[in-house]
Amino acid sequence: MNIVLRELKAHRKSLIAWSVGMVFLILAGMTKYSGFANSGQSANDLFKGLPGLAAAFGIESVDLTQAIGFYSVLFLYILVMTAIHGSLLGAEIISKEEQEKTAEFLFSKPVTRTQVVTSKLFAALVNLLALNLVTLVASVIMVGAYNTGESVTPVILLLMVGLFFVQLIFLSIGIAAAGISKKPKLAAPVATGLLLAAFFLSLWLDITKKYPGLKYLTPFKYFEGRVIINHNSLDPLYVAISLGIVAVMLLAAYLRYNSRDLSV
Amino acid sequence: MNVIETNKLTKSCGTARGIIDVDLVVEEGELYGFIGPNGAGKSTTIRTLLSLIYPTSGSAKIFGKDVVEFGAEIKEDIGYLPSEVFYYDNMKVKDLLNYSASFYKKDCTKRMRELVEIMDLDTHKRIDDLSYGNKKKVGIVQGLLHEPKLIILDEPTGGLDPLMQQKFFNLLKEENSKGVTILLSSHILGEVQRLCDRVAIIKEGRIVNVEKMSDLAKSNYSRFKLESRTPIEKSLFALDGVSGLKMENNSVTFMFKGDINSIIKIVASIDLLTLWVEEPDLEDIFLHYYE
Repeated sequence: MNIVLRELKAHRKSLIAWSVGMVFLILAGMTKYSGFANSGQSANDLFKGLPGLAAAFGIESVDLTQAIGFYSVLFLYILVMTAIHGSLLGAEIISKEEQEKTAEFLFSKPVTRTQVVTSKLFAALVNLLALNLVTLVASVIMVGAYNTGESVTPVILLLMVGLFFVQLIFLSIGIAAAGISKKPKLAAPVATGLLLAAFFLSLWLDITKKYPGLKYLTPFKYFEGRVIINHNSLDPLYVAISLGIVAVMLLAAYLRYNSRDLSV
Repeated sequence: MNVIETNKLTKSCGTARGIIDVDLVVEEGELYGFIGPNGAGKSTTIRTLLSLIYPTSGSAKIFGKDVVEFGAEIKEDIGYLPSEVFYYDNMKVKDLLNYSASFYKKDCTKRMRELVEIMDLDTHKRIDDLSYGNKKKVGIVQGLLHEPKLIILDEPTGGLDPLMQQKFFNLLKEENSKGVTILLSSHILGEVQRLCDRVAIIKEGRIVNVEKMSDLAKSNYSRFKLESRTPIEKSLFALDGVSGLKMENNSVTFMFKGDINSIIKIVASIDLLTLWVEEPDLEDIFLHYYE
């Protein structure tokens, strides 16, 4: 418990910064919507004339003149932002003891490596949930402010569940990178590198529409805003894949962190 | 009872030198020195004992329990001061000490206050504002506040001023008189000599000798260095007990073991400018005693 509290305290400032960033992203994004809403149908027509561009922005089969339709485009960037947060948090929370050379202090205390990872995982989950809640509240308020049809709160809640799975995936990738690698400096670059690769794969799939099977490789394809909004549900297959990735990553991190030499 | 017992403990660290077949037995209540030049494997041995790194082969037991299997349990009763102290920069001293104490099942508040008093530590300062010596003091307090039964110190005195060193050594002697076992690693023979009963000497990853401190002192090596006004005949020092003779212009250095009077008579015959007779340092011991 002492490690959990320590980590919560250590990440408090960074969590506030990420939350402010998130609120700003949603605020700025939805403010742009008012411009689209005023232009009426012409924005939709513009993108229909440019399918490649529409794909690159992830706005096919989306009604941009609806607040929630516009939000579904913004949701991709929310996913990316929380994914960056998750992977950096996961990598840093484990690797910092070795990187800042406090591992000798921590692991000469009566704690097992498993206890340390579990405590840090718990603290990280609290951070993920907090950022998710901030996103939820900001989204409900901002989308609600522009919404003219039925309530969007239920579908935003559903989107946030999807968002949480993506957060979990990237957190576990970060933790695995730090847990496995004997070079603590590599953890964050490896985790964010994988994230970028996944993001660009997702963009490439949107634009080229080739090799649809590759979509299973990028978590950014698992919980797409427009799909969730159109179907009003999460795809159970992707939920299962997400949980599978998280389980494998965490298992690898625990096993390797327990058996490897600490970099001291 | 043996507090520390290693059996052919071996750790290969890739290209860096590790330790090979280290057999170390430290009995309960001993003040045990562990000396060797930098890079000989002292820290590697200690880190293996603390299961920060794992042995390649062989095994180690502390309090009769395997260090890998029962690592966390054993550490309940170990206090460790690493050679280089690094703590969470954004913490205040008292936060770090409280955090340290929070790992132990017992209440450490009273002992913590005593130690802070003894080491003369300002607990309201932030750790990254502290000097190296003061960080070391934080290290000492966090290592001792839970009243461990075994204290492991890796090069503990670097950065401490002589007065603080003395206080610290007194503290260690006091702990030792309560029955606490102490393993002190150092490359400075003098500090081991002042404290320890027995000493293991490690060189290039292997234990080369284990001696009682009193025996080591009896080896009676002295280091002579002298300068004369006139050139000195080399043949003057052709005498049993002289080793490592080096002559340069009018200055001479050598190690001497034997009847001190015989060499003093020879030295007295020289027209001296200066003369030093010193205790050999560890380097000399290795060069002349263990070759």
